[in-house]
Amino acid sequence: MTVIPKETLIGRRIPKLDAPAKTTGETRYINDLALPGMLHGKILRTDRVHARIVRIDTSAARALPGVHAVITAADTPGVPLGHGRDNPPLKGDRVRTIRDEIAAVAADTEAIAAEALRLIRVEYEDLPAVFSVHEALRPGAPVLHDRHPDNIPFTFDYSHGDLAAGEQASDVVIEDTFKLHYVTHCCMGVSGVIATFDTTGQLTIYSQTQIPFLYKRDIAPVIGVPPDRIRVIQPPLGGGFGSKLDIYPFEPICVFLARVTQRPVRILFTREEEFIASPTRQPVEFTLRSGVKKDGTLMFRDARTLHDNGGYTSWGATTPFVMMQTISSLYRVPHCRYHTTVVYTNNPYAGSFRGYGNLQATFAVESHMDRLAEAVGMDPLALRLKNAQAPGETTPQGMHFITCGLRDCLQTAAERSDFVKKHATNRAGQTGPIRRGIGIASLVHVGGGANIYRTDGCGTILKLDDFAQATVLTGASEIGQGSETVIAQFVAEELGLPLTSIQVVNNDTEITPWDVGVHASRTTFIAGNSALRAARKARTKLLAAAGQQLGADPATLDLRGGHVVDATSGEARLEIGKLIRSLHFAGKHEVVMTTEYYEPPSVMQDREFKGNVSATYAFGTQAIELEVDTETGVVRIQKVTAAHDVGRVINRLGIEGQIEGGVVMGIGYATTEDLMVSEGRVLNPCFRDYKLVTAPEVPEIDTTFLETLDPHGPAGAKGVGEAPAIPTAVAIANALYNATGVRFRELPFTPEKVLRRLREAAEGKP
Amino acid sequence: MSITKAISFTLNGQATRIEVPVDMDALTMIRDVLKLTGTKLGCGEGECGACTILVDGTAVNSCLMFAVDCDGRELTTIEGLATPAGRSVLQRAFVEHGAVQCGFCTPGLVMQGTYLLRQNPGLTVADIRRGIEGNLCRCTGYQKVIEAIAAAVHEIEKGDRA
Amino acid sequence: MARVEHYAAPRGLKEAARRAAERPATVLAGGTDLMPQIRSGKRALAPSLVNLRRIAVLRGIRRDGDGVRLGALTTVTEILGHPLLRQRAAVLVEAADHFASVQLRNMATVGGNLCNASPAGDLIIPLLVLGARLELVSWTGTELATRELPLEDFFVGPGTTRLGPGEILAAIRFPLPPPDFVARFRKFGTRPALDISVVSVGIGGRRRNGTLEQVRVAFGAVAPVPLCGRRTAAAIDGHPLGPDTTAAAVSAAAAEIRPISDVRASAWYRTELIQILTARLLRDVHHEGH
Repeated sequence: MTVIPKETLIGRRIPKLDAPAKTTGETRYINDLALPGMLHGKILRTDRVHARIVRIDTSAARALPGVHAVITAADTPGVPLGHGRDNPPLKGDRVRTIRDEIAAVAADTEAIAAEALRLIRVEYEDLPAVFSVHEALRPGAPVLHDRHPDNIPFTFDYSHGDLAAGEQASDVVIEDTFKLHYVTHCCMGVSGVIATFDTTGQLTIYSQTQIPFLYKRDIAPVIGVPPDRIRVIQPPLGGGFGSKLDIYPFEPICVFLARVTQRPVRILFTREEEFIASPTRQPVEFTLRSGVKKDGTLMFRDARTLHDNGGYTSWGATTPFVMMQTISSLYRVPHCRYHTTVVYTNNPYAGSFRGYGNLQATFAVESHMDRLAEAVGMDPLALRLKNAQAPGETTPQGMHFITCGLRDCLQTAAERSDFVKKHATNRAGQTGPIRRGIGIASLVHVGGGANIYRTDGCGTILKLDDFAQATVLTGASEIGQGSETVIAQFVAEELGLPLTSIQVVNNDTEITPWDVGVHASRTTFIAGNSALRAARKARTKLLAAAGQQLGADPATLDLRGGHVVDATSGEARLEIGKLIRSLHFAGKHEVVMTTEYYEPPSVMQDREFKGNVSATYAFGTQAIELEVDTETGVVRIQKVTAAHDVGRVINRLGIEGQIEGGVVMGIGYATTEDLMVSEGRVLNPCFRDYKLVTAPEVPEIDTTFLETLDPHGPAGAKGVGEAPAIPTAVAIANALYNATGVRFRELPFTPEKVLRRLREAAEGKP
Repeated sequence: MSITKAISFTLNGQATRIEVPVDMDALTMIRDVLKLTGTKLGCGEGECGACTILVDGTAVNSCLMFAVDCDGRELTTIEGLATPAGRSVLQRAFVEHGAVQCGFCTPGLVMQGTYLLRQNPGLTVADIRRGIEGNLCRCTGYQKVIEAIAAAVHEIEKGDRA
Repeated sequence: MARVEHYAAPRGLKEAARRAAERPATVLAGGTDLMPQIRSGKRALAPSLVNLRRIAVLRGIRRDGDGVRLGALTTVTEILGHPLLRQRAAVLVEAADHFASVQLRNMATVGGNLCNASPAGDLIIPLLVLGARLELVSWTGTELATRELPLEDFFVGPGTTRLGPGEILAAIRFPLPPPDFVARFRKFGTRPALDISVVSVGIGGRRRNGTLEQVRVAFGAVAPVPLCGRRTAAAIDGHPLGPDTTAAAVSAAAAEIRPISDVRASAWYRTELIQILTARLLRDVHHEGH
């Protein structure tokens, strides 16, 4: 008798399924794909920040041997794209930002295409430009889009309670303005796309998109191809982080070139182009007014933010959706108001970026929590604990926290870092140029999707073949975060199959069922639930069939190690492959194939932005210890103690990687990264001068996972992809205050800026 | 186009002879001419390390190297690390220790890690951190990469003892 | 697009010099600066490309009378691992350790670092402190001519040097410092090495009774060329090490640098850093003497 004990894959350290091929160079990214007869496309971008295009002469470029097509706006339908539908792929009459696309070439080689671009002559008439939100809001300012003569494409308003009453009831009121800067994704694989038409006019796009199904819908009108004639294939992605959530002009341009040439065309950015012409994080000027009672009870919060939208509207403009959640709901605040003005300027435009505005909002809110604590003489941990949300609460914005580990996160991070003692000791006074500081900050972020479309669901098709090989077709994309492995774990767990028997197919709209896309930290939760439920259906079917064959009650059976076993004794009764074969061949003519469309129990917010937008929410706290050299301004992060409410750990290896990567991205946002934009131009479009954190700079990271077992989460899990990047920068700001007594309200904390701020403070500027 | 020059070298153990324009870089030769796409172009400036290969056993940024400088030398790319017995100790360590996320920087990091291990089989964590300074990774925060290389050091030590 | 019509990778220096003199030529050493400059269009290749890589005489680090001779093709890694340099010219090794990344150190050559003539060139500052001289060779039409030039006279502006047309940097020599010579190098950055210097400082001199004598000071990235800090050196030379001398040196340094503002730092910040780093280096030297 063979006994198979019950084992679980959940919570174990599971190597990523796609990792082996990535260590041998076998994985083929878009950069590595070449279709037969493929041409190379390149885009001519303007060198003006705001100008009317008078004339474009492409004749010399067209005449260059090896050039197959040169196109301008005149050759295209001119349908604008992007969230604001204000961005024509090729600009015909006017350019508004330095990255604007005005012509494109398809040629035999990249070198010929580059040479052809140099031969295109463009005549401009410069227009007055605006480079700050304040300039753009001034009466008589140059107008970017005629549809918005005030340069304001969007405003957002949210409120609850009675602000005046809140202010009146407060013993202490403070107000600050924070300035959050431009950073960019820096995916190690640059942007790229391949487009190819077959002879019937069917279009295949090899795309890096994070939203393959919405992509079809959104690109269709821009390129004039009906969505049902578009197939999107997603090669493995060299980094996403939100940068591929919208459609950007290079993608339809590639389609136009493929149509004109009737050949496959690939466009790949150079690194410099990636810096100049891919989206950024949204720069925000954030004014926050807050009040507390003497006992530390938070009474009100009034936030006004100005968003520099740049020349066109991509997802960056909608980050207020997420920002307001932190303002209204990270801590209990009875009276709250939030107003955002999104403003066009002639600067680069922002897209979505891991955290989606929450880094900026949390920066303001958690800076204020420290300031309020000091004002009422409490320690920063105590003030936070006093106002922290607890399980079961529904916030005035309608967010329902069925589980909420915020207090535990605060306490865990504080205890493990010895926060209270170190914070007090550091403040007691230090001498010498090197000062030590510790700071703390928390976060709330959606952890069960974000219901911003009519559905927030994900489809799964699961099929088992006659050797008990399970193929999971999921709509959810793998972007390096490990969703493929997590989905395989859920299916393997339900079906009692080894991981090696699970294949996940997730990269072809012609094969996979619908999904919203990889964003909002939703994939483990939503695609995971979808896969889990599909697997449960298959499990039920297998157990029912096995029960019939074995003459046993299916409830007494279990699936383990590729076998149907007796649930109590573990005794192996039947191989699963054999069971499936018996269904195929023994006259039953049945296949084991199931489908699931999982829709999370969340709602779309109403017009006042109220409603339970996510099925669950992730919480976390980070305590950061650092040293600052007060003579040079150099900040060195010594240690990060992170405590995150993740619902449940599914793949420990994967989730550690998410936390560590997110924390380091947060450190980069705070201390090294700065996309310098001056008069609309990017001054540092290279890794030499745009500094990512490198290995020697990475501090010790101590991570604790708090498992709150979310009742809706797959095996209790929440989504945490974005969470770890969110509180890091403000924890660093709070640590800087602890070290120096100087409040830092502007990012980044690069050495020169830190030194300037210290000098400024020494001269009396608070 | 610039004149070309016939060069010969050993590529992953295989004698290779080709003609390259004298101003071509080694990475373009490897990827576009020899069609070995495992080595990645991340920046073209020697700042990211995605294009790291071994030339005569020494790690270099192939994007900065003139292809003609490969003449007479021995090149190893990511495709040349695995043996018939399977992936190398370091390649397996990268998988087992979660050092791979999007994976675009991985070939460069594996090559650089291989170089570091061959130079100094007793690498410390501090050596590893300094040693991969020239390799950028946006996903992992490096922690797991460092752990993977450290684990390979351990594996190799164990192997020596055994 | 620039086209290279002639290519040579000779084994002899004479042949290289002849090829470089024949027609406008680009001389290739490690390639680490040249390749990105070509790719970005900042520099165009000349019709002739002369690759020095196979010239054995340009390689190696060796004793040369009372001094050291670094062949122009010596890589940064070779400097880093060289026992004689580690022992007697630690300041150069220190700079090599803060040079870019392992991969770049394996490729980049000392000759290339000098000929690229970046005001921020990492190896230049310690070589100025060590009083290096350059051996330049050229083809006269019939034979190889050699001339010597002090390193400090080599630089004309960012990316430009006194190399004549067709002239090749063959070697760098410097006298081996006496046992009482102390020198320090500090490059400012937040990373150990992979940073273009925002500023760098080198100070060297002979320690005598609580003073430094025969002082040489050099500053990187604070002028169009790597700068010899003569006034700073004078403020230190022969004065007792301590707060007063440090203060004098710091103000001399601030007065003689000519920093610009660019994406890496403002002139203000560069001036601040030069003062801090100078003070810290002198403090180190002073305290170590006790």
